[in-house]
Amino acid sequence: MITKGRKKSAIGLNLTSMIDVVFLLLIYFMVATEFKTAEESFPMDLPLRNHGQIITLDNEPLVIFVESAGEGSNDLRVRLKGPWEPVSSLHELSAFLTTNKAGGFGSGGLFAEHHPILIKPTNDTRWDHAIATYNTVASALYTNITLDEPS
Amino acid sequence: MARKGNPTSAINANMTPMIDVTFLLIVFFVAVSQIVDRDLVPLDLPSPERATSVVSDEERVTVNLVPLQDGEIAGIVVGGHTIAADAMSDLTAIINTRLAGGAENVHLRADRQTKYQYIHQAITAIRETGASPRLQLVVNGDLK
Repeated sequence: MITKGRKKSAIGLNLTSMIDVVFLLLIYFMVATEFKTAEESFPMDLPLRNHGQIITLDNEPLVIFVESAGEGSNDLRVRLKGPWEPVSSLHELSAFLTTNKAGGFGSGGLFAEHHPILIKPTNDTRWDHAIATYNTVASALYTNITLDEPS
Repeated sequence: MARKGNPTSAINANMTPMIDVTFLLIVFFVAVSQIVDRDLVPLDLPSPERATSVVSDEERVTVNLVPLQDGEIAGIVVGGHTIAADAMSDLTAIINTRLAGGAENVHLRADRQTKYQYIHQAITAIRETGASPRLQLVVNGDLK
């Protein structure tokens, strides 16, 4: 049977404009996307300030002085207050803290896990050096760490 | 002179896919604009090796110490406010307001070269709130 009238046009999708916009989107996101760095944090206890009240500590805190000696991540000097063997780097500090940690019943370690540890950077100490020291102490599994006022 | 060949078809722009994508874009930007955390100022955070830091996603107020050169700071950005570097009473007041609004953590963000004296000033101001919040020292977690 012969069909009369106009021929049916071929069915087709016009994808040109869609592709145009998709490419625009692609370029936009490639240029504008800024990958957010993953952020983590060290929790630090922040006790209430007791004005004029002196707190006696059962354990004398271990005081660690920190001073920047340059801009590199390892350009810092650390020093312990008291009659301890001198340490000069974070590696040595880590060894000292690990060696002297009370590891449980019968252990000869000096410092318990919750022994108070004060980190005292100087006024000009770089923040990454103070944090690196904090991380070294936290890595030795001590839990009572405080950033003290500048020395 | 008569032209040969097929007659020229009418030019029609197919707007349907364009409108589809435009609506998708609108929905995307509306959604994303509510997710982006405007409290986070771009900073070069400390990246300690083998950090024992943890991810904290709790309700928080973020204190950003905006750096200048040589470890100085230009100001403090906290809770959508920008305050002067030495306006510690303002910092305490803003944090108090946010803590009263339900925040439990205070995140302290500072550039790696910032001098510790400014960090300690901020910590002292946070301590002055009297609400005993949990302080989180923020570091870069990409290099773990």
